[in-house]
Amino acid sequence: MDAHVAQLQMQYRNYILSLYQQGFLDDQFTELKSLQDDGSPDFVAEVLSLFFDDCVKLVGNMARALDQTGTVDFCQVGANVHQLKGSSSSVGAKRVKGLCINFKELCEAKNYEGCVRCLQQVDVEYKTLKAKLQDMFNLEKQIVQAGGIVPQVDIN
Amino acid sequence: MTVEQDCVALDQFPVGMRVLAVDDDQTCLRILESLLHRCQYHVTTTNQAQKALELLRENKNKFDLVISDVDMPDMDGFKLLELVGLEMDLPVIMLSAHSDPKYVMKGVTHGACDYLLKPVRIEELKNIWQHVVRSRFDKNRGSNNGDKKDGSGNNEGVANSDPNNGRANRKRKDQYNEDEDEERDDNDDPSSQKKPRVVWTVELHKKFVAAVNQLGFEKAMPKKILDLMNVEKLTRENVASHLQKFRLYLKRISGNQQAIMANSDLHFLQMSNGLDGFHHRPIPVGSGQFHGGAAAAGMRPFSPNGILGRLNTPSGIGGVRNNLSSPSSGMFLQNPTDLGKFHHVSSLPLNHIDGGNILQGLPMPLEFDQLQTNNNKSIIAGNSMAFPSFPTQQSSLPNNNNHLVLEGHPQASPSAFPGHQINKRLEHWSNAVSSSSSTLPPAQNSNSIIIGHQFDVSPLPHSKPDSLEWNTQNASSSYSIPFFYYDSSQMRQSGNYGPTTDAMLSSNPKEGFIVGQQKLQSGFMGAEAGSLDDIVNSTMKQEQSQGDLSEGDLGYGGFSSLRTCL
Repeated sequence: MDAHVAQLQMQYRNYILSLYQQGFLDDQFTELKSLQDDGSPDFVAEVLSLFFDDCVKLVGNMARALDQTGTVDFCQVGANVHQLKGSSSSVGAKRVKGLCINFKELCEAKNYEGCVRCLQQVDVEYKTLKAKLQDMFNLEKQIVQAGGIVPQVDIN
Repeated sequence: MTVEQDCVALDQFPVGMRVLAVDDDQTCLRILESLLHRCQYHVTTTNQAQKALELLRENKNKFDLVISDVDMPDMDGFKLLELVGLEMDLPVIMLSAHSDPKYVMKGVTHGACDYLLKPVRIEELKNIWQHVVRSRFDKNRGSNNGDKKDGSGNNEGVANSDPNNGRANRKRKDQYNEDEDEERDDNDDPSSQKKPRVVWTVELHKKFVAAVNQLGFEKAMPKKILDLMNVEKLTRENVASHLQKFRLYLKRISGNQQAIMANSDLHFLQMSNGLDGFHHRPIPVGSGQFHGGAAAAGMRPFSPNGILGRLNTPSGIGGVRNNLSSPSSGMFLQNPTDLGKFHHVSSLPLNHIDGGNILQGLPMPLEFDQLQTNNNKSIIAGNSMAFPSFPTQQSSLPNNNNHLVLEGHPQASPSAFPGHQINKRLEHWSNAVSSSSSTLPPAQNSNSIIIGHQFDVSPLPHSKPDSLEWNTQNASSSYSIPFFYYDSSQMRQSGNYGPTTDAMLSSNPKEGFIVGQQKLQSGFMGAEAGSLDDIVNSTMKQEQSQGDLSEGDLGYGGFSSLRTCL
């Protein structure tokens, strides 16, 4: 039904805008979206799932590195943070990236407490983002199922 | 790649350019792949550096360009960069989330033709094809004789990142064809046929430096340089290899400051002597430039004539032929110390009228005929004023060599610079001195960059104008110093970096040169940045410890010699 589709599309649009406004996403995400086309219709979903897999892996590495009863290898933690920063900035995960920047400094300062806390924040943040993006994809699916096309949201 | 292959590739270029992307981060790799596809390149990806090397070794002609992340678990991205540059002579672009300039510097000095920061944007990738074009272009130019007839202008145009490169590509293709033909035909350029060794005399080198300066280091392409130099029987190839050596030298210097410092002078001399390049230039060892006078005297013990003479010989610099390991470093290299570098730096500013400010303190080797310009005088005068203490310091310098270097080098410096930078500076200096051309200012820029930087750092009273000039290019000031210490042995080895260098040079002269400079700077400055400043300061204030002073003195000494060159 057109009205239904229109409503869904409006909902979708607002949702996306809110994600940007709340700082979950940034321009890089827009770029990512622009790379999705008929040739690779699931590009964004694919990249994001790779990203979240990376998050799980990296957070796990960092948790293990910080869990040492002996000396903590901050370099190792830092290396993982660096990688997370790279991938989060590439997908447009703004908050995660922001946390990584702080995290890096904490690693360099070898601030154990700070690192542990920051890691927890990163963990929460990427999971939150994952949930939100999942909602976004669900909305897209609903729109398509309702016969509509997913609108291009213009972020300004 | 043969010309034919090039032509074929060029037909659709950059569409279909074959890129190998390496990144252990699967997210980034996937995005990169997609971005590259969007640019219509042909993409191969791998998340392991080893695999990438295997792919490359399997068939060297399979790829046009490599993009690699810096931080990878199985191999350092810089290492991969070097290997690719050396073995395959392909342009390599580095990718990293590190925006720290020292990483960028490292990338450039290791031969990367570009350094991109994550997140990578498609706009940046749209222009990477220029590196491939430039690389091939320079290679062809290097291999072809310096026929001025081919549309050199076209070449330059092609190198520009002009997306509408259909025409440009065609031109390039034509040029390649033209080059090929000319190569086979009897050129009216005799040197093209046999490529007789070109001896990079001081004068020749001066012209070279002047031309490079005039063009700006980044933009200095062999063809243009050749045109500017307007020297009969000089081929583009000669210029290209000279330029390459220059850059290579810079690169080496940055990487081997320590080693170079220790051995460079002699090495260079040896190297340079072997080189057919620069001719021995009489080194005005006793150059009274040194206001320090006393210092100069002190320097003598080094038998500057013997060593300096060699050092100053253009062969060092002119090592274009053999290596960049031109003994130019010798000029200043008497002391393979930072000071030497310092010298370098200082010398540059001297040339500039403005630069005189910085170098004010530095004794200008008046003996240098080049210096015999008003600039010199003003500089020298300024120097003496600025660095009244200099002479004293000089004498206090334990490094007699420095003095020697300073004095003797002025003349030799222009040619003796092993590094391009040095040469450039010399050029500047020479230019400035001789007031022969207005190229000085631009040249200064290139040179000044090297030197200027350092000076900027130092709280020299006069600093400003010079620093501007010096800093034109970048804080390459540190570079200037490395020059001196160019280790000939290293230079020899630099041959290994030939491809890399080529890549560097071809893809982005600026990168090579400047980067190297930066690297030097960072390397040097990093380690000794403080020292440089200290040196300057110390010379100024004579507050530094002996060590510093010596460095400083040397630096000044070097400068003075440089100055003379200037």
